[in-house]
Amino acid sequence: MNERRTTVPSDPAQLPVLMQFLQEFWSAADLPPAQALTFELALEEVFMNVVMHGAPAGTALRIEVSLELTDSGLTMTVEDDGPEFNPLSLPPPDVTASLGERPVGGQGVFLVRQMMESVSYQRVGIRNQLTMTKHPSA
Amino acid sequence: MNIRFETLALATVVIPEGRLDFGAAAGFQRQVEELLAAAGTASAALIIDCSALDYVSSAGLRVFLLATRAAQRAGIWFALCALTPAVREVFDLSGFSRIISVHADRATAVAQAPQAPHE
Repeated sequence: MNERRTTVPSDPAQLPVLMQFLQEFWSAADLPPAQALTFELALEEVFMNVVMHGAPAGTALRIEVSLELTDSGLTMTVEDDGPEFNPLSLPPPDVTASLGERPVGGQGVFLVRQMMESVSYQRVGIRNQLTMTKHPSA
Repeated sequence: MNIRFETLALATVVIPEGRLDFGAAAGFQRQVEELLAAAGTASAALIIDCSALDYVSSAGLRVFLLATRAAQRAGIWFALCALTPAVREVFDLSGFSRIISVHADRATAVAQAPQAPHE
C-alpha cells in the first residue's frame, strides 16, 4: 500500500478520477486529512497543465500518476508521453504586480513550487516526468 | 460546487460551497459575471463569502482575478471575506491577497462596503 499508480488520458473529465485516486491513497495510508489539499492542488495544476498545453492539437496523451510513501515523505510523480517540456523553466509570476498587470495564467506551477518541499523535472525516454515531494505531516 | 446567494440591503453576497477547481471554475465565472452585469441596478456591492469554500486552484484564482477587474470597470465595490485556512494559503502564496480585497469575516466586509449605491 506504500505505492500506487494509475494512468488516464489527457482529458479534463479525468480530474475527478485522479482526485479520487489520491483521496483513496490518503485514507488507506491514514495520512493527516488537512495535508491532502496540498497534493490535490499540485495534482490538479500539473495534470491540467499537461491537458491544456502538453498535447499537440487533436491528440491525446497518456498521463501516469504515481504516489509513493517513504520515510522522507510522500512523492507524487506525474508522467506524460507528450513533446519535451519542462514546466519548471517557466518564469515565476511577479507576485508584486498590480491588479491590472497581473497575468491571469501561469499561477499553477508557481503554487506547486511554493507548496511542495521539492519539485524536479526529468525527460525520461519519450516521457516528461515531474516529481514532487513533501512530508505529509509538515 | 454549490453556489448560494443572499441579497442584503446594498450588497449581494455569493457563497460558493465546496471545491472551486477547474471543473467548477467556468460555471462559477458565469454566475459572477451575471451578478456583476445585474449589480449596476440592484446592488452597490458584491461580496464573495468564502467560509464554505474548502479548496481553490489556479482555475479558481483566475475567476477571482477576472471578477475583481470586471467589478472595477463597472464601478462595483467587490470583496472576498472569510477565507478558510487552506484557501487563505493559496491566496497568500500567489500574492492574490495583495491585489484582491479580502476581509476577515462577512460583518467586516459589509461594514466596509459603500453605504449608498454608486451613481
